[in-house]
Amino acid sequence: MRLRSWFLFPAWIWLAALFAAPFAIVMAYSFLTRGVYGGIEAPWTAESYQRLADPLYFAIVVRSFAIALAATAICLVLAFPAALFIARAPRHKNLYLQLVMLPFWTSFLVRTYAWIFLLRDTGLINTALQAIGLIHHPLPLLYNDGAVLLGLVYAYLPFMVLPIFATLERLDPSLAEAAADLGARPLSTLFRVIIPLSKPGIVAGCVLVFIPCLGAYLTPDLLGGGRTVMIGNLVQNQFTTARDWPFGSAISIVLMLLVVAGLWAFLRRESEPLV
Amino acid sequence: MNRRTFFLGIAGLAGCARDTRPRLNVYNWSAYVGPETIPDFEREFGVRVRYATYESNEELLAKVFTGNSGWDVVFPTYNRLEPMRSYGLLAPLRHDWLPNLPNLDAGFRAPAWDRSLAWGVPYMWYGTGIVYNRSVHPAPTRWADMWNPALKGRMTMLDDPEDMLGACLKKLGCSFSSTDPQELRRAEQEAIRQKPLLSAYLNAEVRDQLVAGDVLMAQLWSTTAQQAIDAAPNLAFVFPAEGFPFYCDCAVVLRESHRARLAHEFLNYLLRPHVSARVAEATKTATCNGAAHALLPPAIRDNPVLYPPPDVFARGEWPRALPPAAQRLRDRIWTEIKAS
Amino acid sequence: MKRWLAAYAAAFFAFLHLPLLTLAVFSFNSSRFTVWQHFSLDWYRAMFHDPQILEGTRNSVIIALLATAISTIVGTLCAYGLWKRGSRMLTGALYLSLVTPEIVTGISLLALFQWAFRWLGWQLGIFTVVLAHVAFSIAFVVIVVSARLRTISPTLEEAAMDLGANEWQAFWHVTLPALIPGIVAAALLALTVSFDDYVITSMVAGVDSQTLPMVIYAMARRGASPVINAISALITVFFGILILVSEKVREA
Repeated sequence: MRLRSWFLFPAWIWLAALFAAPFAIVMAYSFLTRGVYGGIEAPWTAESYQRLADPLYFAIVVRSFAIALAATAICLVLAFPAALFIARAPRHKNLYLQLVMLPFWTSFLVRTYAWIFLLRDTGLINTALQAIGLIHHPLPLLYNDGAVLLGLVYAYLPFMVLPIFATLERLDPSLAEAAADLGARPLSTLFRVIIPLSKPGIVAGCVLVFIPCLGAYLTPDLLGGGRTVMIGNLVQNQFTTARDWPFGSAISIVLMLLVVAGLWAFLRRESEPLV
Repeated sequence: MNRRTFFLGIAGLAGCARDTRPRLNVYNWSAYVGPETIPDFEREFGVRVRYATYESNEELLAKVFTGNSGWDVVFPTYNRLEPMRSYGLLAPLRHDWLPNLPNLDAGFRAPAWDRSLAWGVPYMWYGTGIVYNRSVHPAPTRWADMWNPALKGRMTMLDDPEDMLGACLKKLGCSFSSTDPQELRRAEQEAIRQKPLLSAYLNAEVRDQLVAGDVLMAQLWSTTAQQAIDAAPNLAFVFPAEGFPFYCDCAVVLRESHRARLAHEFLNYLLRPHVSARVAEATKTATCNGAAHALLPPAIRDNPVLYPPPDVFARGEWPRALPPAAQRLRDRIWTEIKAS
Repeated sequence: MKRWLAAYAAAFFAFLHLPLLTLAVFSFNSSRFTVWQHFSLDWYRAMFHDPQILEGTRNSVIIALLATAISTIVGTLCAYGLWKRGSRMLTGALYLSLVTPEIVTGISLLALFQWAFRWLGWQLGIFTVVLAHVAFSIAFVVIVVSARLRTISPTLEEAAMDLGANEWQAFWHVTLPALIPGIVAAALLALTVSFDDYVITSMVAGVDSQTLPMVIYAMARRGASPVINAISALITVFFGILILVSEKVREA
């Protein structure tokens, strides 16, 4: 198997140089002390981690989890019927899939910006509603948690549709037919047969949506108008405004640990390998 | 596409970058030079300038902090000079390479933050005040007017801890650069009380929302405000009665620069009265260059937003660089406000 | 039920596409506000005369092509190697890199490049951005290529080797051709994630590496500009065409 080791060689270099090394450096930073005007200095200390025990940061972590969970749940509810539709479509499956993916191919910033364009006080939605006389004063659609949630859902929806579609497509259609033959109504077939069987896809989709949402910082920044902080903003803030690298590193490490722990709990019983 | 065309394509793209002229890398605030400032310099000195822009001091510092950013000339605000100097990021200025230095206004030849102009050349200055739509009655005159519940959802404050907390401190009659924990805590309470009334915390992007009418009142820098007023005459600007901060952005040469001589040439070029006047005119900023100020058309030279009259000027305060403990408390308070 | 599903799907696609579509429509509006005045190409003209946009596009293209080339090669080799015999450590690292929040990846890479600067004198620039993009796109490539590899039976290579091919020949003449559709899909994915990335790029970019997303972000930060609408319309069209072409390649 000499060829195999040669083939894996560049990947090992990647692992060492671009994955393990940066992670080790951040780990080291998180145990150092902030310099007077920023930067890092001796001595070694766990102070940054102690600071994290503060209820303030705990509240931000809880809030980020809540927003990420809500975004995941909304994505799931929106994506499942769409995936079902595509999986059952007699024709044009590929076209539908590409349509789901198309927004994903365009820039993330542009997708977020599109919502600013639609939601702001003089944006398209408010202008249109005022033009037809439904409202007289613009609705405050932008710069709140709802806008952040909408931006996250919009950005990561395709990640939910694709894995669910993949499992639904592999489902044996005769299972649903059998349920119907045995007298199950369509809705109960859906909830008692189809959804349980598509669990692997649902789990994969939830992971793919939840994780980027948890670490999001651009969406709360642009659509939240700086009124909300999520963990991502907290990290970003430590590396820019506050220039507290050790603390920022400590939050990053904790964020990583949370993600890994969540993933482990989620995927423990999952057998389908991605790699 | 076969392999060869692919690699030729990449080589061709990379080839575009080749330019044998000497290079100077300048990183500046957005909208801070005139349209011909850089091209003229390139032509006159036979060099190529790589010019890019940033929107906040934090963005700049995050970039140059590593000391391998590649930039030669940057424009930090004056109270960032001391931290940058203490981290060894700045190259000391060579006054023998800056013969145009005496063009500076008398007030900027020996500023409190850099008595001998050892590190930075004062470039442009501005204050923070309130820009508002003339439809707002009564017109605001004080920071306290930004706590007006009638304008709920139509106001913004700057997304900048220093300015935002500073306004709250001024409202309470404290110093803009207060380090007293009790005063800061009271300012925090003011900010938390104000937050539900605000549409958002926005920096320069509020300019467009003021012009379009989404936002009726905003805490903003005078130069950005003037740009908004030029685009929409129904806007006006006031320096609040309780007091307000002045800032000055300084041109500095980074220590990492291998082109100190050329960088100084650029600084010296910016100090020319005509060049500086063109920048001030094109970007609606207040120049630190006294000789340039004299060249400006009267409408700009006497603009009270850019160059406040003496009685207003007297209310202004130049914020000091904060000691680390106070900085840390402010960072925490800022996070608390955002998370509230 | 079926009709409901179809109606829902229509609404779903509208939700996905209307925002981008309106953005594109308003890129042809002569006014910078959201009130339609008349058709105009001014914003497109402004876009083509903006040196920062042109340079950002050029940098983005160079970076995306280089990062895609490197990560596709490394990722494909890796997927093939893992297919032959798994490695828990490598697989685990790939998973982890996939789930690392972008902001953490960006910061850790910046910290790495700072060290590299201290010891090796690296400047932040196109080179560091390409490395960063390779760092996060390899996992995507491995996953897509692995998915394709699972559809290939190992017995094919064994048969080739029984007929006298060595390991390399078996890979080059038997497995690789069968992998092409997967590799194309992987490269396309790597290309888009690289072309799109803002968070990580903005951390590790230096003087010569302002990418298009960084320019767009700076513009959005300075206030709304219909030029952004124009850019986004063009990006969407460009990637739409790219997908169509790649579909044809995959079918061929």
